[in-house]
Order: sequence, then structure tokens, then C-alpha cells
Amino acid sequence: MVATQDALLAQMRRGTLQYCVLSLLADEERYGFDLVRGLAELDGMVTSEGTIYPLLSRLRRDGLVESNWQESPSGPPRRYYRLTNAGRAALDAFRLEWRRFRDAVDHFVERKDER
Amino acid sequence: MSTRADELINEYLDRLEEGLADFPPTRRRELVQEISAHIAEARASLENEDEASIRNLLDRIGDPADIAAEAAGPPAPEAPLPPPPAKTRGGGWDVAALVMLLVGGLIVPVIGWFIGLALLWTSETWSTGEKLLGTLLVPGGLALPLFLLTIGTSVNSCGGPVGGPITCTGGNGVGSAAAAVLVIALLVVPIAVVAYLARRRSQVAAPA
Repeated sequence: MVATQDALLAQMRRGTLQYCVLSLLADEERYGFDLVRGLAELDGMVTSEGTIYPLLSRLRRDGLVESNWQESPSGPPRRYYRLTNAGRAALDAFRLEWRRFRDAVDHFVERKDER
Repeated sequence: MSTRADELINEYLDRLEEGLADFPPTRRRELVQEISAHIAEARASLENEDEASIRNLLDRIGDPADIAAEAAGPPAPEAPLPPPPAKTRGGGWDVAALVMLLVGGLIVPVIGWFIGLALLWTSETWSTGEKLLGTLLVPGGLALPLFLLTIGTSVNSCGGPVGGPITCTGGNGVGSAAAAVLVIALLVVPIAVVAYLARRRSQVAAPA
């Protein structure tokens, strides 16, 4: 039971992580390490930090984010990521769907809690 | 101590490189570059660069195998599998089904048509509705109307001495007109249905 619940949580995390990344990029551009730390601030969102990079790479290839190199005040240049128009559209669409989904689940789950 | 740290980090990056061996060089380079930059940033923010801290740092980044698995893509809940090929049997059988339905009864009376029927119903090309259509609207194929035609002409036998007046026996005008319409319908409908089934088949066999 616990094992399947863990698998479910891992799947939900996997499915929503890319939208969390897009959300973090909604207002400002960020470089990888900064993004990962932003995600890691919320417990449970990232189990292994390294897996964010393949995700970023995929988002870039899908045209949802774009990147450019910028000099760093300390150390080598950093690759900065920012949302493209397509990325913003995907994020907006997801937000709408997510609210609907979350409200529907809350409707059942939270009501049970109140008893 | 820093040499030990470098050793651990290089070891980690080597394993990552290995895990990504199947990827195109540009993607592999991008990932290794990003992760070594991440390691450098994380390392710079360490208060104390001892072996345990470096190990913790690398643990947080995760097993190189996991990173490679993520790079290979999710186990595809997003991308549904392409639909299986519409037909598992050779297309020739479908053509045979249609041919036998139409003219099988002429080649081997009655049995030929049933062979066509069997081929039709065992095919995966057509839907059940289309198979019913083929069964009910092509009864006996072209054998039935041609059979009726022979009976009709033998009943409505016309003849007479050469050069003499032609006399016809049997069959009133209305009856034979109705029979003619029926026979024509029995000829046209099966051909139309088989043509329709053939068109459906080519649509299923070659989806756009």
C-alpha cells in the first residue's frame, strides 16, 4: 500500500514538475542551480536535483523555454533559462486545468477530513 | 582534502558520462556541462569542504543512472502508443473475400459465396456493421440474379419460326417489368456494396 502510494506521489511529482519549473521562470530568468534551489525550497518537489537538467533540456527542445549564456560575477558563465511565448501559453493552460483538477479532488478529500 | 573532493566529483561525472553514452554528443555535453556547473556552484556554497559534505552534495544531485533515465524521457504516460496496425492478415485475403462474395457463387455454386462470407467475417478490416451489410445485401453474390435471369428467360421464352412472327408465352407485362427491376436491383446492389467495402478497405489500409 505504501509502495503504491509512493509510486503515485512520484508520478504526480513527475507530471507536475515541469510546470513548477515554468512557473519559476514566469517572472524572471534563472540559471540551473538557482532554479534547482528554488524547487528544493519546497519539500518533496525534487528528490534528486540532477534530474532537473534533463527536464530543462527537454523543455528547451520543445520550445517552451530558451536559454542564453551570461557572465557570472563569480566563476564561469551561466546558462540562463527563460519562458518562450509557447511556454507561457502552456503554463496558462496548465494553471486552468490544475485548478479545476485540484478543486475536484479537494471537494472529496477535504470533506472527508472535516468529519 | 580538495584533491579528494576533486576525485569524488570526477568519479561522479565519469559515471554520468557513461550513463549518457547512448545520447548524441551535443546532448551529453550539455547535461554534463550543466551538472558540473551545478556541482561547482554547490561546492562554492559549502562552508566546509570535507569528504562528507561533498558526498552529501553529490547524493542530492542523485544517481547518474537516474539522471540518464530522466534524459531518456518519462516511461511515456504522455505519449500514447501508436494504434496497432489495422490488419494482421495479408491484404490479399480481403480482396479474395470481396471477389468470392461477388462471383464466388458463379465459380462454385453456393459454396463459393459462403467462402466469401467466411473470409469477410474473419477479416479485421471491416466493422461488424459493414460485415452485416456485406452479408445481407449480397445474398449469393451475382449468382442469384443471374440464376433468376436464366429462369426468367426460360419462363418468358420467346420464339417463333425464323422469319415468322415472334410469339411469347407466359409472363404478363407488369410481372416481367417488376422482375426486371428486381433482377437489376439484385445486380446493382451487390456490386455497390462490394465497391463500398473495397473503398472502406483502402481507407483502413492506408490511413492518411
